[in-house]
Amino acid sequence: MTSKPIANGPLVNRISRFKGLITLVACMAASPYALADHSDRNPNVSEVKAWDTVKVSRIPDGIYLRTENDPDDLIWDRLPKYRTNLLPAPPVHQSVGLRFEEGSTRGKHVYFQVARSDERLYLRMHWKDPTEDRATTVDKFGDGVAVQFALNDADTSYMMGSGHENPVNIWYWRAGAPAVENLAAGGYGSTTRLPKQSVHGGSAYFTSDVPEKREWQVVMSRPFESDGEHEVNFDRETVPMGFAIWQGSDNERDGNKRVTHTWILLDTRLDNDN
Amino acid sequence: MTVKRQLSMVLDLNKCIGCHTCSAACKLMWTNRNGREFMYWNNVESQPGKGYPRDYENMGGGFDAEGALRLGRQPSQEDYGIPWEYNYEDALMTGTDPWLRPNVKPTWGANWDEDEGEGDYPNSYYFYLPRLCNHCANPACLAACTRNAIYKRQEDGIVLVDQERCRGYRYCVNACPYKKIYFNEQISKSEKCIFCYPRIEKGLPTACAQQCVGRIRWIGYRDDEEGPIHKLVEKYKVALPLHAEWGTQPNVFYVPPLSPPKFGENGEQLAESRIPLSYLESLFGPRTGEVLDTLQAARQAKAHGEGSELMDILIGYKHAEMFKLS
Repeated sequence: MTSKPIANGPLVNRISRFKGLITLVACMAASPYALADHSDRNPNVSEVKAWDTVKVSRIPDGIYLRTENDPDDLIWDRLPKYRTNLLPAPPVHQSVGLRFEEGSTRGKHVYFQVARSDERLYLRMHWKDPTEDRATTVDKFGDGVAVQFALNDADTSYMMGSGHENPVNIWYWRAGAPAVENLAAGGYGSTTRLPKQSVHGGSAYFTSDVPEKREWQVVMSRPFESDGEHEVNFDRETVPMGFAIWQGSDNERDGNKRVTHTWILLDTRLDNDN
Repeated sequence: MTVKRQLSMVLDLNKCIGCHTCSAACKLMWTNRNGREFMYWNNVESQPGKGYPRDYENMGGGFDAEGALRLGRQPSQEDYGIPWEYNYEDALMTGTDPWLRPNVKPTWGANWDEDEGEGDYPNSYYFYLPRLCNHCANPACLAACTRNAIYKRQEDGIVLVDQERCRGYRYCVNACPYKKIYFNEQISKSEKCIFCYPRIEKGLPTACAQQCVGRIRWIGYRDDEEGPIHKLVEKYKVALPLHAEWGTQPNVFYVPPLSPPKFGENGEQLAESRIPLSYLESLFGPRTGEVLDTLQAARQAKAHGEGSELMDILIGYKHAEMFKLS
């Protein structure tokens, strides 16, 4: 499913056999973020790193989700899943810097699946979150997830695009909000709601007696054909893609988030397109 | 932040009777609906007291000595006070409920500690402090906004939130040390005192100033040398900003309150004033004593039949002289 082999695939296998010390050593060898918390990492899911390519899966004709954006549909059990480690976004404003943990290594693994039918592109994400933060009140912040796509090539800054020439299209979900927002930005601070809200979504929080097992599942989807100046065009070889997660219980919002550093490349072509 | 002109307000705390007419005027005009029910863009608090939101003076925000934003604590809904309503219909009209009662259990509100003050009889004291957005020259809310959603109007320096740009991050609420910017949960955006700009644009004073029965408020431009603001702030230097040490350069100024002398153990009058100078200085800065002396002298002069332009301004004979909006 990947056009490029995943760099540390064999390493992942070893980790699953010899946890503990080996895990620590392997992490230190494989990652510059040696002390990151990887407790939400499932070694049985392929890890995608920056600049890896992920291929979209096909939802065959005549197969439909129970509802358009059902996060718990059976179909998700049959489609390839990836994970990627999100790390704190570099602060770009005083307000963000004030709330930034210096030297923070708190990673967060987001699990994702990308699938398409002839008409629609689907993205499902899930991540561990012991607290369900739905309320946005004067002193509470909601959990959130977003995916951004560069409208042009991967030279675009992963920090929300670079100016008018190289913008990004962002699909933003926040717990408790009525709908997924379809946004565009050309650099931080410029996020703008697009006139056409073509991205739809669904979400569910799966609770458990074990806090570490609780998780959010979110599906976002959009007609495959783009419609509008700042909507990402999927009809090309690769689409640069990145994720962001906001943890409401940590008062995360705006630039206080964990993100994909640089890009993951999404290959949206189906096999019979080639 | 330089603007072409700056509108400003002076409030004479010697004249405030704590009637809350200003707050009621503001609330009726702007904040009694649509998620703003808990907000008092203008409020009147008893000082010494916890203020509104509760303990706002200890929540942080503003700027440090180097001019960098200081992190603050986010006020909770409880700190503001959860607005309650009564079951008038059920208790008084249909009779379906025998009791008239609030729909939430009130535990705190904007004037929960009203008239408590401090000190023991016969030396107890308090005074009223009306507060609104200071439309600062160096607004911490503006500096904290990552979206450039807050701006200061060039023509009058009024600080406003662009509701199209605001995405409800609440950095502004945290950064304003006066806590005069509020998060509206209904629309997930921040809102604040707009200095009644639709009225100002028609040549009318703000609702709080217009309705003030104590006539404690003057409005005008800082650069208008014939106007009341320039005279009170620059010429006679009797109007001081609240907590100037927070670094935001407020454009709302206060004439600090004089108070009668303290009583000694045997009922004799002492040389110190009832409201301790040190307390007033903690609010209005080191010049407070000097201002009180100026006020005292002007009062004496007026009482002795001598002319005093300062006292004539502070008496506020005519609204036309108190509000200079051109």
